[in-house]
Amino acid sequence: MRGEVAIIGCGRTPYSRAKPGEPVRTVDDYIAWAAELALKQAGMSKNDFNGQGLGVSHAEVAHTVNWSAATAENLGISPQVLIRGDQGGASAAAMLIRAAAMIHSGIVDRVLVVGADTPLNMPSIAPGLPLSPERTRGVYWDFQGPFGVMGATAQFALVLTRYMHQYKLKFEQLGKIAVSNRSHASLNPDAIYRTPFTLDEYMHSRVLSDPIRLLDCVPIVNGGLAYIVTSAKTARTLTDRPVYLRGFGESNNYYHGPRSLPDITTTGFSQSAPQAMAMAGVQHKDIQFLQPYDDYPFISMMTIEDFGFCKKGEGGQFIEERNLSFDGDFPLSTDGGQLSGGQPGGANGGFMPLVEAVRQLRGESGPRQVKDAQIGAACGFGGIPYGRPGRSCISLILGTEP
Amino acid sequence: MTEFVDKPLPAITDLTRPFWTAAKHGKLVLQKCGQCATFNFHPKPWCIECGSRQLVWTDAKPHGAVYSFTISRGVAMNFPGWERDLPILLCLVDLDDGARMYAQVTDCEPEDLKIGMRVDAYFEAISDEAGIPKFRPSP
Repeated sequence: MRGEVAIIGCGRTPYSRAKPGEPVRTVDDYIAWAAELALKQAGMSKNDFNGQGLGVSHAEVAHTVNWSAATAENLGISPQVLIRGDQGGASAAAMLIRAAAMIHSGIVDRVLVVGADTPLNMPSIAPGLPLSPERTRGVYWDFQGPFGVMGATAQFALVLTRYMHQYKLKFEQLGKIAVSNRSHASLNPDAIYRTPFTLDEYMHSRVLSDPIRLLDCVPIVNGGLAYIVTSAKTARTLTDRPVYLRGFGESNNYYHGPRSLPDITTTGFSQSAPQAMAMAGVQHKDIQFLQPYDDYPFISMMTIEDFGFCKKGEGGQFIEERNLSFDGDFPLSTDGGQLSGGQPGGANGGFMPLVEAVRQLRGESGPRQVKDAQIGAACGFGGIPYGRPGRSCISLILGTEP
Repeated sequence: MTEFVDKPLPAITDLTRPFWTAAKHGKLVLQKCGQCATFNFHPKPWCIECGSRQLVWTDAKPHGAVYSFTISRGVAMNFPGWERDLPILLCLVDLDDGARMYAQVTDCEPEDLKIGMRVDAYFEAISDEAGIPKFRPSP
């Protein structure tokens, strides 16, 4: 399936921190806005998706029964196929794979994929805390909430503590990622936090859940994103800059070691990245940038390792030795990442690495453009399983040639 | 209407009730697979190793070792009732019978918490029906 489908348009709405005085937009509103931006770039109309595909990512705030069909109704599109993204931060990447399979098999020729959420306007069971009802029910919550688990930061902190027990890692190395991301964000008008900070400021930022600091944590925002994927044939009639899906790999519910007592320091990228690279026919040296799922610098670091850019346990050293800037020898999170850009809900941050990869490969990243970008990698990383790092780990290789 | 509560309480089902009831009475029970003898936590509908539905609630040793830990200094994504317990020493504890659980360690200074530290369970009632295990450093 290498190069059989291509992305021909993307949209990312401005994000909001829902400060007093800002307009309060609904999920539907953000979806239409993001879709409009993607359609405009592709030179298409929403009516081009009648009889085709519509992909809809999960929204914690607004989802109702038949959420994808309800979204089609709201947008006035009558698709033949609905794809539902239900893999947290891997949803955007997962829907791209599902869409590619649908296009490959000839069921549809094109799919519009949308996602938005407004977590800052979430009706919560606990005032002031972003706890949607779906986060506080089910066996998974029953065996976390009462036991004192304080959300993703505490869960990832447990992984990081264990990692630092097994391998060498300095906080300065994680800080280098955070500082570099913010530097990229300063070049990206879409990022929510754009003022650069220093490594010293990172090192002195407040510890929230040892060893994770404030400047390690993704800020949540309201916002929406979209992309359009078509057969390569159709793509070439619509744009001179299609971005081809060269390879993909997906790993769900990965255990490193025994299921009851796994080693939690290795993620499913160790499975999905080699798959994606083999399908794409590329080596590490061919990949000109990496857009990891970057909600915490530590997750970016583990992704670099499990992608095989360096040996397991040498991620910290790798980061120290490489230049992570868009014009360096290992461009990482060139849009500023979610860390500085913001995460529009748990299921939609995963659109961001994909959208930035497409922009880079179309040469549209402006002052943060990677020179002559032809091949890049993007990731989806979704959900936190009980006591482990990531439920879905998806690796994508994209390129300017099929 | 959802009633506001101080700290989260589990929705108890027939699948999970034996755990909560036992903890309320000061005992640790885990599901053990009747086919492959794997101990597992949290409760599952079948054995995650072999797929057998013959899971038998079995007394487990209330001892383990800290696999990893964090010190939560704020109540993010949980109920505000935790505020008075901060900082919370949250661990992944590997039980001697071979299952891992999220658990709070108490009676320990944050700087004394170490990976590999031996811990013993004690039990705290959280409602009329349920208790949870918490851990203390072994003497």
